[in-house]
Parts: sequence; C-alpha cells; structure tokens
Amino acid sequence: MRLKWVKLLVPVGALLALALGLSSCGDDNGGDESTATSAVPKEFAPVTAAPDGVKTGGELKVLSAGDIDFMDPGGAYYLPTFQITLAAQRTLLSWGPKDIEKPIPDLAEAEPEISDDGQTLEFKIRDGVRFGPPVNREVTAADVKYAIERADLPGVANAYGQLYLSDIVGYSAARKEAADNPTGGAPDIPGITTPDDRTLRIEIKQPPKIAIAQVISQALSLPISAPVPEEYAKEFDAKNPSTYGQFVVFTGPYMVQNDCVDDSGKVVNEDCSGELTGYTPGKEIKLVRNPNWDPDTDWRPAYLDSIDIQEGFTDTASASRKILGGEDEVSGDFPPPKNVLKEAAQDSEPGQLQLPELPGYRHISMRTDKPPFDDINVRKAVIANSDREALRNTRGGPLIGTVATHYISPGFPGFEEAGGLKGPDLDFIANPNGNPELAAQYMKKAGFKSGKCEGSDCEITMVGDNIPPGKDTAEVFKSQLEDLGFKVDFRPVDHAIMYTRFCSVPAQEPEVCPNVGVAPDFRDSQVLLAPSFSGASINPQNNTNWPMLDVPEINKAIDQARLIADPDERAKAWAHVDELVSEQAPAVPWVWENFPIIQSTDVAGVVNLFNASWDLSFTSLK
Amino acid sequence: MLRYIIRRILWSIALLVICSAVVFTIFYVLPTADPAKLRAGKAASPEQIELIRESLGLDDPKYQQFLRYMAGVFTPYKNEEKGVDGPFDLGTSIFQNNKPVREVIFDRLPATVFLVTGAVVIWLAMAIPVGIISAVKRRSLLDRTTMITSLAFISAPVFWLGLVALYLFAQDVGQFPIFPGIGSYNDAESFTGRAESLILPWLVLAAATAAIYARYLRSQLIDVMSEDYIRTARAKGLSEQRVIWRHGVRSAITPIVTLLGLDIGVLLAGNAILTESVFNIPGIGKETVTAIGQSDLPLIQGIVLFGAFFIVILNLIVDILYAYLDPRVRYQ
Repeated sequence: MRLKWVKLLVPVGALLALALGLSSCGDDNGGDESTATSAVPKEFAPVTAAPDGVKTGGELKVLSAGDIDFMDPGGAYYLPTFQITLAAQRTLLSWGPKDIEKPIPDLAEAEPEISDDGQTLEFKIRDGVRFGPPVNREVTAADVKYAIERADLPGVANAYGQLYLSDIVGYSAARKEAADNPTGGAPDIPGITTPDDRTLRIEIKQPPKIAIAQVISQALSLPISAPVPEEYAKEFDAKNPSTYGQFVVFTGPYMVQNDCVDDSGKVVNEDCSGELTGYTPGKEIKLVRNPNWDPDTDWRPAYLDSIDIQEGFTDTASASRKILGGEDEVSGDFPPPKNVLKEAAQDSEPGQLQLPELPGYRHISMRTDKPPFDDINVRKAVIANSDREALRNTRGGPLIGTVATHYISPGFPGFEEAGGLKGPDLDFIANPNGNPELAAQYMKKAGFKSGKCEGSDCEITMVGDNIPPGKDTAEVFKSQLEDLGFKVDFRPVDHAIMYTRFCSVPAQEPEVCPNVGVAPDFRDSQVLLAPSFSGASINPQNNTNWPMLDVPEINKAIDQARLIADPDERAKAWAHVDELVSEQAPAVPWVWENFPIIQSTDVAGVVNLFNASWDLSFTSLK
Repeated sequence: MLRYIIRRILWSIALLVICSAVVFTIFYVLPTADPAKLRAGKAASPEQIELIRESLGLDDPKYQQFLRYMAGVFTPYKNEEKGVDGPFDLGTSIFQNNKPVREVIFDRLPATVFLVTGAVVIWLAMAIPVGIISAVKRRSLLDRTTMITSLAFISAPVFWLGLVALYLFAQDVGQFPIFPGIGSYNDAESFTGRAESLILPWLVLAAATAAIYARYLRSQLIDVMSEDYIRTARAKGLSEQRVIWRHGVRSAITPIVTLLGLDIGVLLAGNAILTESVFNIPGIGKETVTAIGQSDLPLIQGIVLFGAFFIVILNLIVDILYAYLDPRVRYQ
C-alpha cells in the first residue's frame, strides 16, 4: 500500500491511549501464530509461525543500513549478524522463532546431559549434518571442539568466550597459549574432549557446577559452537587476523554463495576454494540454498530459495517506504524512523508492522563513585525527577516500547518476581512522568536545602551520542537535570567514541552517560544484571558497569544467584538482586524497547523473538 | 614539456606522502574511537583488547606504524616475509571481513566511476550550450531564466534534490514512477540495467554542477567576447558562429577544463557521498563514511590516499591539456 508522503499528525496521546487500551485487553501468546506481550498492541504483535498453506520458493530481499560485524562465526557477536547465523549455521543449541526461555537442540540431537555434580556437560552430535561445499563431509564433534578452541586466537577476536567458558578445565591456559603464539594454530582446551565422532564432552572446574554448566550450555547457542572443519580452516587461522571469514563453510539450510555454487545453490565448480562470492562487506550478502542440507535433520523449514541482504540503506526513511510500498522486501537492522513508524502504524496493511521486544533495556547511568551521585539521595532525586515518557518519546513514543521500571526485562526469568511492568515498590520510580516534589524532598535529604542541586559538585559532564535519536534523549535528560539545579556540560560525540573512549573507560567516564543500555546474549537474568552492576565487572578498559556500582551486599547476592541451578529459585534470586540494585538507584531505566520491523504486503514474515528480527528460515513469500 | 611532467610527478608523490601523514595524524594520533575495542566487542577483557591491538599493530610507536604503512604502499612487489602484499599494499581492513583495503576500494570504484562519468557527460552537455547561449543572448529572457534556474540548483542541497527526485520519479515510491528507485543499482545485473538505475542519480549529481559551469562559462565568454582579437576576427569578415566557437569558446573553456579535472578527481575520491547515500549506490563515498564510523583506520587511510592520487593525477592531465588547448601556455 503506497503511503502518503505528507506527515500525518498523530497525537502521541492518541497513540498512547491506543497502546495502553489495547494492552489492557491483550494477553500473552495470542494463539499459535502471534505472540502478544502485555505491552504491545495485538495488531502489531510479532508472528512466530508460518501461515497455513505456506508457499515455497522465491527470493526475499532484506534491506539493511549497516553491515554485519564478522562473517566468521567465531567472531560474530552482533544481533544483525545472528539473523544470518541462525539461518546458515547450526550451533549445538539454537533459537526457534518462539523460543524465549531456553535454546533448543540444533546440531546437538538433544539437550546436553549434565552430570549430577555438574562436573561434565555432554552433547551428542546429530547424524547426517554435513558441511556445505567445498568441505561436504559430515560434521563431527571434533569440528565443534575446534570451533571453540579457535575462538581463543587473537586473530578470531571472539568477545564472549572468556566471559562464559572460562570455567572449562584448561580454558585459561589455552587462551594464554593462543596469546603467546597467535599464528601457531588453535590451542587445545583439555576440558573439551571428543570420545567419539558424535560425542562432545565438556569438563567444568568450578564447584558447584550445575548452574555453571547451564550457563555454558546457553552460551553454546551463540555462533561460537558453529562447527569449523580444522583441516580446511587451519591455513586461514594461521594468519593474524584470520582470513577464515572469507572462506566460511556452512551447515544450515542456507549458505553465503561461494565459488562452488551458482545462484540456486547448485554445485557448479567441484574444484573450488570456498571463497565467498556472495559477501561484499557493506554492500550485499547473498544466501542461497545449501546443497548439502538435509531437511530431515532440521526443524527449520527453509521455504525461500534465496535471500539477498542489501546493505547501505542509510536513508532509513526512504528504505522503509520502499519496503512498505514494494514487494518481496523486509527490513533488516534498522527500525523505521519516527515519522514513518507513525505512518506505518496508521496506514499499513495488517502484519506489515510488527513490534517484537528487543531483549534488554536502555538506561542512563550515574557514576555512584563520584560526587554528587555518590549520595544515594541525589540519585533517587534524579530518578524521581525523570520524565521517562519524555525520554521514550525521543525514540518514537509508546510504539517503541514500555517505560522501564527496573533492570530485568519482560520475558526474562525473575521479571514478574521483581515486580513485572509496575516494578518494585519504590516511590522514586513510581511515576513515569516524574515527580518534582518527591525529587526535591530527596535533594533536601542529600543536604540541598533548596531542594535543588547547588555548588561546584553539581557542575557535571555528560557524554552522549551526536546524532538523533540518542542525541535527542541526551538533550531531554539534560534539561531534566537542569530543572533539578545541575549545570550540565553535554558533549555529543560519535557513538563509537562515546563507548570506547569515554563511557567504557572509568578513567575518562563522565558523571552521566545517557545513551547506554544492556543487550543480553541469552535469556538469563545473569547477563542482564551481573555485567552492569557487579563490582567484579568493573574494568579499566571496556567497562560495562557504567554506574561503577560496587556494593558488597549486591556483589554477594550476584555471586550466590549465579550458582543456583533450579530455574524457579534462580529467578527469585535474580529478582532479589534486581530489588537490591533498584534500591541503590544507580541508573535511570527508561525503556524496555520494541524493535519495529516491517515487511512488504506479499511477505509472510516470521519473527524470531531471540533477536527481534525476521527469521529467514521460517519466512516465505505469499 | 617532458621535464615539466616528470617534475610534476615527483611533486605528486611528495604530496601523496604529506596527505597520508596528515590523515594518519588525524585518525591515528588525535583521539578517535578505539578500533581495538570496537573490534574486540562489548564483553572483551582488557587483555583481549591489548592482544587485538597488538595483532593490528596499533601498539607500535606511531612513527613506526606510519613508516610501515608507507613501506607497504611503495613496495612494488609481494614480500611474504615482511607481510607486504605489494604492489600498493594499503593494509587490511579491520572490519570488512579482514579484506585487503585495495580490494575493498577496487570493489567500490566501478560504481563511483560509473556515477561520476555519467554525471560529467550530462552536466557538460547541459552546461556548455546553456552557458554559450546565455552569454551570446545576454540579458534576454532566455538568459535570465537559465541563470535564475541555475541559481536555484546551486542553492539546493544535493541530498534534498535526491530525495525530491525519488519522491517524484522513483518507480517504487514516486508520484510519477518513471525511473528505478533507491537501491536499484544493486538489483541491476547488466550494464544497461545499471545505467538505467543511475539516471536519477546522474541528474541529481549533474544538476548543481551544470548550473555552476553554465554560469562560469557565461561569465568567461562574456569577458572573452569583449577582447580585441574577437573584434579583429569580426572585422576580418568571419561568421559570427565561427567567431564564437573558434575564438570565443576556445579561450573561455580553458578554465572550465581545470575545474572539470578538479571536480572529477574530488568526486572519484569520495565526494559523491550524498548522492551515493540517498540512492544507496555502493561507491567510494559511502565506504568512506562507513569506515569513519567504524574507525577502520587502514581503510580510511587507504581511501584518502587513493582519492588524493586521483586528484593529483587528474590535475596533471588537466594542466597538460591546458597547454594543448591554449597556445599561449607553454611549460618549461
């Protein structure tokens, strides 16, 4: 349906009423085909199953603004990249469209067996899974072992292996070996063994081990466990950086086209090198059918014949209108901008706009170790004063998500136990529009008799994004701080500079970082809370504990929660951590975000809730 | 003339080295985003970041990094022992799947060349006749109309022109769907398909430049037509058409040639970024912006060096052409 170019003036209040009214009627899991969360209007609820009478064939175009981070599964660590790895790589465990609680077996034929003492974790590799050309042979356990080990090489630059896998026996020593000899080949991790071709056994060193084993198991749903054939990849891994990313082999229903296959995925060159011809960084990724994929071994249906991911659509407004008015197209890594989002909400056909929840949340951090924010009452005042709905409006209003009230996101274990949408029973977080009177009371408790911040400590620096919408959010928060008496020196910089030079470097970090957030790797509240609020997470470089929170009671609660294996007890434990953190008021949680995605009218898109994007293996053309 | 050319080439090499040093200082020495941290990712430990910094050679002293880079550029052969992939080894992109920078640039170059070539043809085809007619029929209604129109095109930002063009004429979202729209260059599979996809971008890129050239040529021609030798040519009985073309335009067009060389060089170096972005044409300009956003320092350095090379060479070609066009100009 062609959209009108002229901006429709839709009162935000009307949209809010629409969203809230519908959300009060909506319920979770509205039927087999759509998954409505309690905060998303039902007509925009993400569809997580293919329709009846689905058609096969055709080529889907995915329009993206930027590029993936790495084609090499060992380095891939970016949600848009996961859209491709979910379709083209088979990891030990993976995420189907509806799977938000835990990953399901993929390359592994079943969930891992964890020994009673949590000492070992064992996977059985599924029969019949083969590498695409030019390798062609069946996948074995040794390929997964090599994949995990090669991720330690500096030339592969895996960012999360150490975070989740360091409890494996011999892991740290292997990393050191790789660091000392970066081109000497992947180091052996003695705690990962392959008693036979189909068995992968992992030995864990830290007691008690069941919870650790569970976290490791979840981490192996990430691309690090996508099998890599050593005999093929070692020559590429001998270089630093590794060039395997230009020669990746695939095990999923799709593969990036290489010099072995044509556009249809048919092998046309037996004497090929495996060099990817379908990936031009920043321009295009062409996925074709993997000729060696056996549908009997997979739960993915793979309806499409090919997928053409076109990158570089930096003008997202034009790209969004092209998708909504065009054919065979879906959005990739960008949400429609605010004005197009409103038009889509009003004018598009049912199902064209869908609003899956983006795991995680956005928050504004305050340095708890620096005045004036080292005083808890000042922090509470700031949160009380914050108009979080105004902050949310900078990104598009109610459609863009729910005003956050604490630090566990909807759908994560412990969310309901932590207070759900309403949040904890704390007065300073109760009003999403802010409560200046309450803020003034907290400032008085902090010693500011006028109820506003006074003195040289109230001259603070804030470093944030230099382009909208991040800049808009920062500007709005700045004015809210100034209402409370702060004098704010706001320095807008490029997003990458904001993170790498300022907010993630404690020595350079300003008092306030307004554009930070948490994007968890899987659905466990440990990954939401520990990196952001544990004292042990504070790093001199690449710090993720932006508030610099280091409270012994919270650290202890986190350490305890990490080791709880029972899901219900674990959820309660993390809810307790969330409560303790909320009481400390280290940051302003302001949105649990939806990630608007759009499709053309002739696309039957299926959403993968894990990464809030179109699931290429389940999407089809009408 | 030969000595002049050789001297110019040597100066060009020196200029390229200076350009590289300036870019190096801006991006490697002055504060930017940390490429090692960006590559390492959000959860990487400090040790891992340092390992990556070491593997990228970013922990060496700055002067060493620069000298190593220059050595790679000027080594005319492959030297595996020293890790040089010559000739013209511009290093490896940090983020583009570890591809050699040279490959990334040459992959993007055809789109930019195609875009710029077409735009040049169109803007010359528009500017020269308009400029001549406006100069010859000075102060006529036609002259005033063309000059006001050209002023409008000069004033309009090229990205705005691009968006308006899409709104009016793009097949997918336009009011009068005539031409292929955004992203159609990537969809095209043949030469003619790509040419068709570039019609709107050509027109957009040519519009402002044609306007500038038309005004400039008009101004130059008005000055030339008042020269004594033009009066002499008329007095000798030559036809007005011959006077204008053989004597007037030939003199007036030489500064246009200089301008053309500069403009082509600058556009090939990445200045077509706005047009490339609006229409999603995968050219050098777009790649530059992506590289800057990612702090992909080798790619930034490589593109700048490459662009400077184009500008310098085209300037040299233009200066040589100048000597042939204008017999008064002789180089020593």
